[in-house]
Order: sequence, then structure tokens, then C-alpha cells
Amino acid sequence: MKFKSRFTYAFLVLGLVLSGCEKSFEDLEKDPNRAITAPASLVLQGIEFDLYDNTGRPFSSEMRWNQFYAINYNYYGNNEYQFQEMPNHFFTLKNVVKMEQEAKRAGAADVNSYSALGKFFRAYFYDQMSARVGDLPAMEALEGSGNLTPKYDTQKQVYVQILKWLDEANADITALVAKGETSVPGDFYFGGDLRKWQKATNALKLRVLIRLSKKADDAELNVKSRFAEVLSNPAKFPLLEGMSDNLQFISNNFNKYPSNPDNFGFDATRQNMAKTYIDLAASRQDPRVMVVAEPAGAELKAGKKPSDFTAFVGASSGEDLTDMADKAGRDNGAGFAPGLYSFQSRSRYYTNYVGEAVFILGYPELCFNLAEGLNRGWGSGDAEAWYKKGIKSSQEFYGVKDGTLTMRYSRTGGRDAADFGTYTIDFSFDKYYAQPLVKYDGNTAPGLEKILTQKYLAFFMNSGMEAYFNYRRTGIPKFYTGVGTGNSGRIAVRWLYPFSERTTNETNYKEAIQRQFSGNDGINETLWISK
Amino acid sequence: MNLRVLLPPLRLVRTPLPLLFLTLFCLQSFAQTIVTGTVTDQATGEAIPGVSILAKGTTVGTSTAIDGTYRLNVPTNSKTLVFSFVGFGTKEMAINNQSTVNVVLATDLRQLQEVVVTALGIKKDIRRTGVAIQTVDGASTVKAREPNAINALAGKVAGLTVGASPELLRRPNVMLRGNSDILYVVDGVPVNTDTWNISPDDIETYSVLKGATASALYGFRGKNGAILITTKRGTKDKRGFSVDVNSSTMIDNGFYAIPKVQDEYGPGDHGRYAFVDGKGGGLNDGDYDAGWGPKFEGQPIPQYDSPIDPVTGQRIPTPYIARGKDNLKRFLNPGILSTNNISIGASTEKYNLRFSTSHIFQKGIVPNTKLNITNFNITADYNFSKKLTFQSGLQYNRQYTPNIPDVNYGPNSIIYNMTLWGGADWNVDDMRNYWQPGKEGIQQIYAEYQRYNNPYFMSYEWLRGHQKTDVIGQASLNYKITDFLDVMLRTQVTTWNLFRSEKMPYSAGSYGREERRGDYREDRRNLFENNTDVLVKFDKDLFPDFNAKIWAGGNIRSFEYSSQYGSTDYLNVPGLYNFSNSARPVKTSNYGSAMRVNSAYYSADFTYRNLFTISTTGRVDKLSTLPTGNNTFFYPSVAFSTVLSDYLKMPDVISFFKLRGSYANVKDALTRSTIGTTPALGGGNPLGYGDQYYSPYDGPSYQNAAVYSTPFAYNNTPAAYYTNTLNNPNLQPSSTSQSEFGLDFRILENRIALDATYFVSNEGPRIFSLPVSTTTGYSSALVNGIKTRKTGWEVALTGKPLRSATGLNWNVVANYSTFKEVLTEIYPGVDALDTFFKVGDRLDKFYGRHAFAKTDDGQIINDASGRPVYSPVRQFLGYSNPKFVFGINNKFSYHDFTFSFQFDGRIGGVIADYVQQQTFRGGRNIALVQGKMEEARYQDYKGVKSWVGPGVQIANDGKLNFDADGEITNLNELTFTPNTTKQFLQDWVSRYYDSDEGNLMSRSFGMLREVVIGYALPVSLLERSKFIKTASISLVGRNLLYFAEKKDIDLNQYVSGGNSGLQTPSTRRYGVNLSLTF
Repeated sequence: MKFKSRFTYAFLVLGLVLSGCEKSFEDLEKDPNRAITAPASLVLQGIEFDLYDNTGRPFSSEMRWNQFYAINYNYYGNNEYQFQEMPNHFFTLKNVVKMEQEAKRAGAADVNSYSALGKFFRAYFYDQMSARVGDLPAMEALEGSGNLTPKYDTQKQVYVQILKWLDEANADITALVAKGETSVPGDFYFGGDLRKWQKATNALKLRVLIRLSKKADDAELNVKSRFAEVLSNPAKFPLLEGMSDNLQFISNNFNKYPSNPDNFGFDATRQNMAKTYIDLAASRQDPRVMVVAEPAGAELKAGKKPSDFTAFVGASSGEDLTDMADKAGRDNGAGFAPGLYSFQSRSRYYTNYVGEAVFILGYPELCFNLAEGLNRGWGSGDAEAWYKKGIKSSQEFYGVKDGTLTMRYSRTGGRDAADFGTYTIDFSFDKYYAQPLVKYDGNTAPGLEKILTQKYLAFFMNSGMEAYFNYRRTGIPKFYTGVGTGNSGRIAVRWLYPFSERTTNETNYKEAIQRQFSGNDGINETLWISK
Repeated sequence: MNLRVLLPPLRLVRTPLPLLFLTLFCLQSFAQTIVTGTVTDQATGEAIPGVSILAKGTTVGTSTAIDGTYRLNVPTNSKTLVFSFVGFGTKEMAINNQSTVNVVLATDLRQLQEVVVTALGIKKDIRRTGVAIQTVDGASTVKAREPNAINALAGKVAGLTVGASPELLRRPNVMLRGNSDILYVVDGVPVNTDTWNISPDDIETYSVLKGATASALYGFRGKNGAILITTKRGTKDKRGFSVDVNSSTMIDNGFYAIPKVQDEYGPGDHGRYAFVDGKGGGLNDGDYDAGWGPKFEGQPIPQYDSPIDPVTGQRIPTPYIARGKDNLKRFLNPGILSTNNISIGASTEKYNLRFSTSHIFQKGIVPNTKLNITNFNITADYNFSKKLTFQSGLQYNRQYTPNIPDVNYGPNSIIYNMTLWGGADWNVDDMRNYWQPGKEGIQQIYAEYQRYNNPYFMSYEWLRGHQKTDVIGQASLNYKITDFLDVMLRTQVTTWNLFRSEKMPYSAGSYGREERRGDYREDRRNLFENNTDVLVKFDKDLFPDFNAKIWAGGNIRSFEYSSQYGSTDYLNVPGLYNFSNSARPVKTSNYGSAMRVNSAYYSADFTYRNLFTISTTGRVDKLSTLPTGNNTFFYPSVAFSTVLSDYLKMPDVISFFKLRGSYANVKDALTRSTIGTTPALGGGNPLGYGDQYYSPYDGPSYQNAAVYSTPFAYNNTPAAYYTNTLNNPNLQPSSTSQSEFGLDFRILENRIALDATYFVSNEGPRIFSLPVSTTTGYSSALVNGIKTRKTGWEVALTGKPLRSATGLNWNVVANYSTFKEVLTEIYPGVDALDTFFKVGDRLDKFYGRHAFAKTDDGQIINDASGRPVYSPVRQFLGYSNPKFVFGINNKFSYHDFTFSFQFDGRIGGVIADYVQQQTFRGGRNIALVQGKMEEARYQDYKGVKSWVGPGVQIANDGKLNFDADGEITNLNELTFTPNTTKQFLQDWVSRYYDSDEGNLMSRSFGMLREVVIGYALPVSLLERSKFIKTASISLVGRNLLYFAEKKDIDLNQYVSGGNSGLQTPSTRRYGVNLSLTF
């Protein structure tokens, strides 16, 4: 019996030991695997990555909607303007709020480099979203459980707020720099240089003012005088001074340029150039087209030289995908690239992981924005000078400058060393500029068309959907439509609100679509800024 | 008997419980005489343990021990003993001053002999069970075998749906009353199981507790029902020992579900193909579609193995012929399933021992794939005395394989490579020597080098190892304080460790690994869990005719889990699979979690005579996953049963008629049943391709944590992203209330029995991620919300149409079940869930992607190119759950022969067939060379548009306008004409079949699941051997016939959801089973 009771006792102890009760219930509730707080610099990294990642990368569907290129392989996509839900940046904006909180938690002053950048990001992402859908919750948004059903502000209110944020960001950075706080840890775009962020802030402001060109006479937005103020006060509103000030994303081995050696076999013949871009560039004898595109295989087979601008052929984005696939895939025989159309440059886009810098806010755009504002009479200055600077800086980005240019092309459509050949063309900017299609016509409508056309060319594979937004705003350049662009032959003019709004924020959502679009959240409804 | 007798005892039940307990301890104080004896079975002469013996006119009683003996202190005022046992006629014996009273009990044919195992392993007479439980005999699952114990239950239990997967080591999709997370319990204690670590040969019975009431005692883990497994113990052999051998060898051969593909056209696009480098350098020679190229007509075309002209360096075209007809069938081999089990049992009065070892070997039908499972099981029970007994069991289970295939969609999948996207232009036999000469270990040979992989290369070089070791052990000590009061202490450990590795060779490609420079990965996971229980058991007739069975206990559950995952980022040296060989920084992550649950529970059954039983249970859990203040919760259950036939006069034909009803409320909170590769929470599959292996977990989900995740963002540096879920410090546990009503009706001396259950399960408010406006910065908020109601029927019909002691016997069991779940409430202020679901909607409504825009009269609207226009929003296409599930088992025996078969299936519901979708899009579907498509396919090749798709086109240059629901808003403005636009078949197919609507099929199927023809060697023959006691041999077959609308997918595995995936073809299985007892 003694043995038995000892046995029982041992058994009981064993059970208790195995069930190990070292930690309290409170400790056990917490997730030991993830952080409750994070340095603001780490949060900034995520926001900055989203700046590039979610706004329209090179060779994405957005770039097809810009009609720079087209896809001819229906398995991987199409060229239809069947816009869906807008890209949702509210999660990134929530991280902006968190970044600001984390900076304060770590002891930063009310105005600090993160709060200043926070204003830039709010302006940037709200512009991206509102330009796509219209009204948006702004004043009541981003409060988490504090307000689960934020009211929608009108698009006008949203843009008033965007401009306010940008002005505040500019003023805050000025104050910070004056205090000697010139850097922001965690920033990978400008190595933390706040002064460069200030330039980007003002460049964004100009983009937004141009975006509002149809509302230039609105007293509250005050587009014209704001524009004039920036132009006349460079000390208060420093601007990008050249390509080295670009807010741009540089790809690397971990964040590969979207067109790279890995996907040559997937995309090379399935993505052909679009007629909109090719025709505008080739008709102006613009060597940029030779840098970004290959001459069409069928044209070379027919005897054209690769240095012949007419050898560059794009497909209308409106072409039936069936026909585009058929034409892009025609066999031209050994030694020639297949197809009737130009493809993207094999050497520029398919031989490394870095590709080219992708502008988020680029200097050429700034130049054209200034030129456009001046053309519209929003300030005093030399529109033509900015127009020329815009063209030149964009051309130089592609290595196009005065002298003999050596172009690389793929004779066969392949991308191995043996496939490539070279040719030369002579380029003179003055000669280029003297062409009637290029030369500025003064501050007139034809002059504006020139600016917008060159701006379009400079947007090739960068700046998200700015090319489309400019088209939507001005009708320039002409976009192609047809069965291939879907939507019954129309270019859609807006995206849809997140589907979840219909059920999660129903009353406010309905009110917003009612006042804007008579209740129809459709892709063919006109936005307030477009009216 | 008259119903009125019910009344006085009912009042007694209302007596407060504490009073009953008080009366307990003051009962035994009379003069006594000691009577001993043995109870044996009239039919077999064997001792019967567990017979209850009552001194008539008193409350004094006992029950027989394992050897059938008993000893009772009989009060002198009692002259008669009453012996009763379930299934036997009750017998009264006068004592007549004898000290020994031996009794022989005879089987009562009218009496039910059924005892079911209920929660906590409590064995109950079926008459006293108020909940739905269905039992499956373990022996019935080890003839026509499955490699997995749970797969074997398919079709055998009403309400239990087992979707066996055709893949090695894949967990079956198991659903019980529409719920997927089911608790598995072995010998009374919950275990952590992937279903592969249970050894079928060691199972005595499976007991399926179908509803929340039945399993409420297990706390939150049991809220969806449970499968209780009782293992074999010792031996009943009179010699005190026995040796059993069970051996099966089965072949997997002959496909019952395999996609049919065309072998008349090769890869390419719009009929064009020419190989240069297989990476896009030629004409559609990379990442091609398998069947949209040229027709095989022997025409000269440069191909992957065409000779290279030494002068030009270009390939010299060779005849283009279908060298690869039936590539897949030629590639796959017959599989083998071989299982061997030997068990040794021994028992005496003092101890009860059993050792069992099993080995399951499975050779996959894909070359170089296999799975081994080795199992050791020891049970040892020891009786220190009549009062103190000890029981223990230890199971060691090891699964190990150097390579199992990954079939999920992507270049990692053989099916993807061979059936969907690989053409018939190459011969699989030419792929056996897969290294390029001079580039061994570096570069595979294949017909394409951009996207796809050589199947033999994949099988022999791209290896996915898996080793999992499970140890489950438990020990319990039982002390019998009195005849009716036991105390038990029990502790159990479930622990496993898992090691998985992936060796990805140089030149192999998959999604996200396009550089093709090899990789090595390790996935390690460890789980430890302990359950320690104290259990007090009280079982006594408190008063004459009134029995109380009360169990009460406490449990501490401790849980710990840790895991680690690492991957190279490409390799430096080909073929060296080591992290130190990573070309770029190694990627690793780790995860750990811990949890504790303290519980107290009771189960109390009160039975009045044989009139009725009321069972109640209750359990309190304190759970560490919830915020303090909300982490302690109670769940009650109550069940009622009454056997009308015991006390109401019924026609003779009715032998048994029982009614039952029950109610339970169960809760749970912030745990998850399975866990994937680390990072384990929200991270998904770190690979970005292939199958995510989920192991059993039942630990904390940390869902309610307000935290950052810190993935690598720019240039391999981390970034912090705050959660998109709003946490909730006031979170309450989820709640489910379930009621069920059942009847058990048997006629003709129990030869035909009907068991029917109707249940209503009100689920919720759950812990629910309520979608919130994303403009708040968050996508969801964790709240207590959403309610659904599940209702359903389960019917089991058992019959013994033929019964004869010497001749032909026929037993049949038929099962039927159905359920549906509707949304009853969402959340205050929210009137739709996931955009589409409204209150009152069934939750299995399938909203399909790319539904076709249609006219009022349902015709497809085509665009100007003659191809369908998609609705921009998903549309309702049908219900994805079957209308009902059925199974029919038949067993015939005639002398030494037995013959049994099972037919089961599921009827109703729709599914979008992904294999059809992709074989069409890749140009391989057999329909492209048959019927009306045949000519159009040929015209495509000739460059002529000839296909005219069904439906209409807009006649009046109208434009289609859709609203936010995808409805066309201006149908009245449009006029339509029949579509007449000729189109390439390829382009039409690519549109039409890239949709759920174009690939919708019925998910009804029926299956001849198993056939067993057995022969037991006659005892007379064996007696001469003096060595073998029993021997039987069976011819067995599984999955022999399959009936479905389309057989390119095996519907078995899809128990829910609207879309199918890819799979390895499903095979029939047949072989021999040998069973011997020594």
C-alpha cells in the first residue's frame, strides 16, 4: 500500500510538471512573434516601397492603359479599359499615421521629418485615389475604430486638403532645415535628404495644379495664383533642378525591373509596342523610339534599315487581340524577329535586373507642367524654355543627345549577344526641334498640344498613370479604341470604389455616388475634376 | 405498462442535486454475507465482464471483473441476486445460503447489445444515450485498405463526409455536419493528428460524435464534433495470449479520374512553332500553350532535339509527329500499398499487454515517390489490486519519405507540365536521361526551357522530403474507493516533430524562381502538448430504479509550439544543398507559441428504471488566448432519451423505439486547427508556389494582436507594416448552440433499424473579422458577430435481410445526410457580407468569376470579335454543397465466405472544373479535336477564322453599361442579332473557358468504394495445424467504379467550395489481404 500511495503521488507530480505552469495567462495571450511597436524609419520604408509598388509599375496594365505598349496574349491579359476597384492606398495611409505616431513615441517634436513626409504621402496617395474615383473620405478617414463609417468629402474638398498638406509639408521642411534637421532616417529615395523631399513636394504640387486645370477658375482651389506663387518664389518653393533630383525607383536584384531576363520567354513576343507611342515618336524622328523599341521584323525583312523610323510599327490598342496576336506572331523566317510589330528593346529591358530608373516624380514632367501652366497664362515666364528643357532632359535620360548615336537592336528578336546588331544615326537637337511637329507654337492651343505630346513621350513607362490622366484631361494625344480596348469602344474615365464600401460604409458611399454620378458607380461616369 | 408511472420519479429528479450526493454516503450498514461466483455466456462459455449484480430489494450491487468473477457482500435481508447485462436476458438467482452462485446468461435476441463510446471514453448503453453517435468497427476498415485511417471512414457514417485526396500524405478534407475542424480523441484524450499518425490496425472502434452535445465535454476543441478512437487492448483469447498478423498488398492501377487530352496538335500559338532555344528565342518556343501549335503532319519543323547544322549553327528541321501520345500514362507507374501488422496480446488477471507494430509502405504512381509509415504501439494495463488499476499506452509513429510530389498548379507540378502545358511533340521516354551531356548536375534536357520542367528530372532531382515523428503516450491510475466511486488520474503527452526539406536542382524553374539556379529549404516544426486530468466517477443506483452516473473532473492542458523555416536565395554550387551555399543572403524565420487551458467539467446521467435518461454536462474553460476578464467561459449540454418500447405496449413487430433530444452551447476563441510554414501567421506560403503543408496545431492564432509585420521590402531590407485588422480588447468567445432530435426505431427483432437525427445548429455570434470601410485604414475589425443556422438530417438504416446460423447472412447499412447553412445575422448596421451575401442566403452560394453578360432571355452577349463579354462583377452560378451524401454497405456471408461492397457518393451542387479550364486554354482538351470543334481547330491551323460562338451581338452600335452589381443597365436600349462573327477557335476558347461559368459542372458522383471477397479457413482444418487459430484471405478492391459528369477531376476530395484544383490522376486499387491469428 505504501508503494501504491508513493506511486500515486509520483504520478500526480509528473502530471503537474508536464503541464508546466511557468507563464501567467496574461503573458500567454500576447503574440511573441511580432512587434507591437516599430521605429518610424522602418515604417517609412514600407510606405516608400508602396509609393512605387502600387501606383503603376513599368510594363503593367497601367502602362497599357497609357497606350505605351500592348499585350497580344490573352492568357496574360488584354488591353481593355475594364477598370475595377481603385488601387486602395488607405492601408499605406494608415502606416503614415503609424509612422507619425512612432516618431512621436520616440520623442520627436510635433513637427518632425516624419510628420513632414507624412503630409507629402497623404497628398500623393489621396491624389492617386481621388484622380481615379472622385470623392473620398479625408477629414473623417484613417481613424480606425474611432470612426468606422467616415463621410465622403467632395473631390474639391479633397484637393483643397491635398494642396494644404503640400503647403504645410513645404513649410515644415523649411522650418526643420532651418533648425538643422535635414535628414530623415529610413529613406531610400534621397538617402534621407529632406531638402530633396521638399523639391519633390513642390513638384507634386505643380502636378496637382495641372491636374486641376479644368478648375483653374475655382476661387477656393486658387490654382492660378498658387502656380504663379511657386513660379515666382523659388526660395520658398524649391523645385527639382535636374534629373538628379528625381523622385525615382531604382530596381535591384531583389526588386527586379518588371521586364528582365527572367521573363523574356514569357513576354518578349507577347508584349508589342502600341501605336500611340510609336507613331508619335517615329513621326517626329525621335531617337527615343529606337532606344526603347525594336524595329519590326517584317519591316526589316521587307528591306528597311533599322535606322529607318518607318521600320517602327506599333499596334493600335483597339485592335482585336486575335488579330494582334496573329500579326505579332507571324513568322518572318530565320534571322528575323517575328511579327509585323515592334517589340520593346531587347537590350534595354531584357538583359539585366536594373532596367531603367522609374520616375515617381520626374524632372521632365516638372518642366512640361511649368510649360503648360505658362501656356495657359497662369504665370509669367518662358513656356518654350521649359518645354525644351523637358524634351532635352527626357531625351538625355535615354542617351539621346547631339552627335552620332549608336543604337543596339536585336536582328532576330532574341536577346543573346549574337542576336544583337548596332546601327548609328546622327542626332541634332536643334534639327529635331526645328520640325514643325516639335517646334513650339507659342502660348496657343497648338502650342499646348505640343507640350502635352512631348509630356506623353516623356512619361514612357514611368510616373504611374500620369500619361492617361493627361489624356483624360485634355484628349491629347489621341488614344486608339476598338474591340481590343473593350468597354464598347470607350476609354473608361474612372475606377470603381472599393467593393467593400457598398456594405461597410453604405450610407456615405451611396450619398457620394448619388451626388457625383446619380447613383451609378460606373467606369464611364465623369469625375468632377474632368468637368 | 402505463405512462402514469413516470410521474413520481420525475418529481424525484427535481430533488436538488446536493441532496442526492448527501444520501450517497449513508447506505451500507446492514449485516452481510459474502457471495462469490462467475458469470459466463451461454453461447460461448466465456466469462462475461461487467455484468451488474444487485442484491434484490436493496441498493447493494457490484459488477463482474474482467474474468467474469464477482464478490458481493449481500445484506441478510436479501435472498436473491439479480444479474443483468446489456444484450442478455436478466436472470434472478436465489442465494439459498450458498456462498458461491455461478450464473450462465443467455443472449436476449430482442435486447440491444449496443454499447457506444461517448465523450471522455464513457461507455454507455445505447438506450441511455441522448446524442447522435455512430460507431464503425475498426476491423471493417483494414481489409480493402486506405493508407490513412480516416480515409477509410468515407461513406460509412451519416453526416461524416471524408474527401480523400489522391496525393501522398495529403490530409483528407473531413466534414462533420458541415464543419471541418473535428476533434480526434484516442482512448479518451484529444490528440494532435494529421490523420496519418493513427494506425488503423490498432483501432478497435471509431465512434463518431456528430454534434456539439456529444462532444461538449471536450471543450472548445470538440465544438464541431469528434471522432473517438478506441484502441485494442490485450486479448480476449482464453489462452491468455494471441498473435495476430494482418497483411495487405494492393496495387494502384487503372485510372478512374484522369484528364483526356488531344495528341493531334503540338505546342505553339495560332498554329506556329519553331524551336531555337526554348526560351522565347524561336517561334513560340518558350512558355507555350501545349496544343495550339501546328498539326502533327510530319512536316519539317525545328524541334528541341533536331540536329544543329554545324555551318549555320541552326537546327535542321525534323518531321513533326506525335511522339508523345499518352505521355502521362506512360510516365506514371502502378502504385503499391503494402501494409503489414503484427500484434501480440497477453492478459492475465493481473495485467493486460499488447504490442503492435505496423508498417505501411506506399509507392506513388509518380516515379520516385513513396511514403513509409512505421508505427509501434504498446498498451500495458496492470491491476495492483482490485481497487488500484493502472492503464498505459504509448504510440510511436514515424512518417518518412525522401520524396513526395507537389501537384499544385505551377511548374512544380507534373500535371501542370505534362497535361496542361506540355505537348505531344516529345516522347516521355526520351526524357529519362535528363541531364544535358557535359552539363550533368547543371542543366536538364527538355523541349522547353522558360517555364516548364522535364518530368523525370523533377521526379529524380527535385526532391521534397518529409519526416514526422509522433509520440503519443498516456498513463492513468484508477482507484476504486467503493463499488460505485472511482477516482482516476491521467496524464497524456502528444508531441511531434516535423522536418521537411526541398532540394530544387539547378535549371529547375517555378513561379518566382525564374533564375533557375537551385535552392534548398528546410521547414522544422515541433509541438508539445500535455493533458492532465483528475476524474471522479460515480455510478450507482441511488434508489431502487434510479441510477446516477456522475463524472466530474479537472483538466490542465499545456501547449507549446515552435517552428523554423529557412531557404537559400539561389545556390552557388549546383547540387550542394546547404544554407552555407546560398548565393544571396539566406532567408529564415521562426515562430513560437504557447497556450494553457484550465478546465473543470462534469457529466451527470440520471436514469429512472428503463424509462428515461437525462444527461447533462458542463465545462468551464479558462483559456489563455483571450483577454483577461473574458477568458473564462462555461458550456452546458443536456440530453434526454427514452425507450418507448420498454414501457409502452407496442405491436410485436416493433422491437425497439427510442426518442432522444439534446441541446448544447459550446464556445471557442482565437485558436486555429492547423498551421503552415513559418512565418506561420498571415504569411501564407513563403515559397510563392506549390502546396502549403498545414500541420495539426490547435494552438493560439494571435489573431487579436495589434502588431506590425516586418517583411523585406526594398533591396532586401525590412519594412514595417501595421496590421489591417482592428483588434478588440473586449472580445468574447465564439458561441454555437446546437439542438438535435432523433429516433431509433427497430423492427423484426432488431433486424431492421432506422436511426434518424434532425439538428439545428445556431452558430454565432462568432469571433469574426467584420469587414470595415478601408477608408478607416483597416480592412476588418475583430468582433463578435455573424450568425448562421445550419439545419440537417442524418439517417442510417441498418438491415439484416437474411440471417441464418448456418447459411446465408446479409447485412446492409445505408447512410444519408444533408444539411444547409444560411446566414441569419451579420452585425448591427451591416446588411451584406463579402459584397454578395445577405441575411437568409445560403452560405454555399457560388459567385463565379467571369460570368457571361447575357440578354434577358439568357443568351450570351458577344463583342464585335464574336467572343463573350464578361460581367465585370462575379455572378451567382449555383450552390456548391451537395444536396445529400449517401453510402450503402452490404455484407454477405455464407459459411466461410464473405462478400462485402460499399457504394457511396454525393448528389447535387456545382463546381468549376479547373482542369477543364486549363486544358482548354492550353489547347489540349480532347473536345478540341472532336465534334463541332474538330473542323474549326483545323481551320485555325490553316489561318482561317471559322468558329462562330453561341449567343448574340449588339446590332445597333449600342454600348453595354453595367452597374456596380454587374447588371446591364441599358438592355432596353439595345437590340441583338445572332452572333455571326467568325473567330479563331483558339481565341474564342481562351475567352469562353477562362471563366467559372464556362467550366461549371455538376459535382454529383457515385463510387463503388470497396469490394471484399473473403474466405476464412475452416476451424477444423486449422485445428490440425495446432498452431494457427484463425486464418482468412480476402481479395479486395477500392475505388473500382466512378460515376460523374466529367472525369478529369476526382470529386471525392472537394467537399466544399466552388473551384477545383489540380491533382495526380486517381487510380483504382486492388489486392490481397491475409489475416492470421496464432
